[in-house]
Parts: sequence; C-alpha cells; structure tokens
Amino acid sequence: MESTDAERRETTTVEALASALAADERTLEEHVDALVTCELAHVEADGRIRATITGEELLALDTDEVIIVDPAGRDGRSNA
Amino acid sequence: MVDTENDAASEESDEVQYDPDTSRYDIFECADCDNVVLALGRDEPPMSCHNQPMERIRSIDMSVKTPDVKQVLLEAFGLPKAGLDICLCVIGEGPLSANEVAETLGYDRSTVTRYLNKLVELGLLRRSELNREGGGVVNVYHSVDLERMRRETLIGFYVWAGEAAALIEEANVTKQEYLDENPDQDLPEVFWDSFPDD
Repeated sequence: MESTDAERRETTTVEALASALAADERTLEEHVDALVTCELAHVEADGRIRATITGEELLALDTDEVIIVDPAGRDGRSNA
Repeated sequence: MVDTENDAASEESDEVQYDPDTSRYDIFECADCDNVVLALGRDEPPMSCHNQPMERIRSIDMSVKTPDVKQVLLEAFGLPKAGLDICLCVIGEGPLSANEVAETLGYDRSTVTRYLNKLVELGLLRRSELNREGGGVVNVYHSVDLERMRRETLIGFYVWAGEAAALIEEANVTKQEYLDENPDQDLPEVFWDSFPDD
C-alpha cells in the first residue's frame, strides 16, 4: 500500500512555509489558523504544523477552491 | 391623489424598458408560424425558422415587470436569499468552517448545512465526504468550475422559463377553448380550476 503524507505525519514550520511560499509569516499564520479551524491542519505542541488526515485527503482530491468544511456526525449527517 | 400618482410612477419605473438595440438579449419571431425564441447575446446570422431568418422583435405592447434576482433564484431554483448569502459569503474567502459561516451571516448552523446541501443539489457546489482525524467524517463543500456553473444555471433557468412559457400557452388555449365552448358565459372559475394549486 502506498504511503501517504498523512501516514508519514510530515511537519513543517510557519517560517519554512513562509520562505517556501514567499509570504510574510503573519499572513501565513492567519491562513494556518483558518486551516486549523477547518480541521485541515494541526499545530503540534512544539509549534510545528502538519496537514491532518482530512487535509491530506482533500489535497488528494485535487479539487477546485475549497470553501466550507462541515464536520458530520457518526451517521454521516452534518452536525447542526 | 398624489399617492395614486406616486404609485403609478413607481409601477412605471419598475417596468422593463425594452430596447432591442441595447438589450442583453434578443427575441426573434417567425414570420410564418408562432415560433418565438429568446437568444442571449448577438446571434449572427440571425435565428432561422422554416429556412428563413427570424425577425427581431422591436417593441412590446405588454408592460413587463423588472425581475428581482432574489425572486428569480427562489422561483426558478428554489434557492432562497440565505442560499445566495452563503455563496456570496464564502467566495474567495478560502476555507471556512460551517460555524464561521453561520456566525458571519447570523444564521442557524442547521440553516447553513441545509442550504449547502441545496446548493449541491442545484449543482452549484460539490460535496466530498472525507475522514476526520479524530474519527467520523467531514463534509467538504467546494466550488464547481465557474464556466460549468454559468452553463448549468443558464440552462436550468431556460428549462424553468420554458415550463413557464408552456403554462402561459396552456392558459391562452384553455381560455380560448372555454370561450369557444361557452360563448354566452363569462370566464368562470373553471379557468383557474385547470391550474390547480399544489
């Protein structure tokens, strides 16, 4: 079975991301906060960031703009 | 009397001022039959019917109310203002949680979910069910290709407009048929009875 990034649990830092994306850290932190709120990214205790399983699955979809993330209950229905 | 005049002026300003030279659409009619068609944009060469170019309609006799986009979306697609608000709220904002959308718009969380699913039904959004890290699943809603959205909404509206036009034709025929059968009676309730309410 092919190993995914999610299984490898690769982490990075805001500084590294900012450098790689040529963005300022403050802007990047805001984006990371939004991703965390949507459960697409997770910030470890040491401050390193990684994509969650959900985030990895989303990247694998190679989809257009993601707009809303809505956690669902055990039966698959959205929590309201 | 002033109010009456104001009302009349207001109603007049609410009417479509049809000008075929500047309108964003064209209406053509066949010189030989009752075929009338709507075309968006300039169509060169013109539409044809019976192998003859159709004639552009230059003026209209009936007053037509200017459509309201909220009413159009509601009538044609069953999409209330809340659904449109959700679309407008999230466009270009990057990922948002359903809770954030609900808080921003002041809607119940359940309302947001309901209309997200309605937008999926309409083909204006796509939904993917992804695994959640802590267990369970997450519904992710993402935009469809904008060109596809334009095409689908236009075709969907044309289907609705076609159904509406067929109802108007049916009403005209029904009225005429009834008058033919009952020349000495006023138009009765049977006319509306032929279009029962849901």
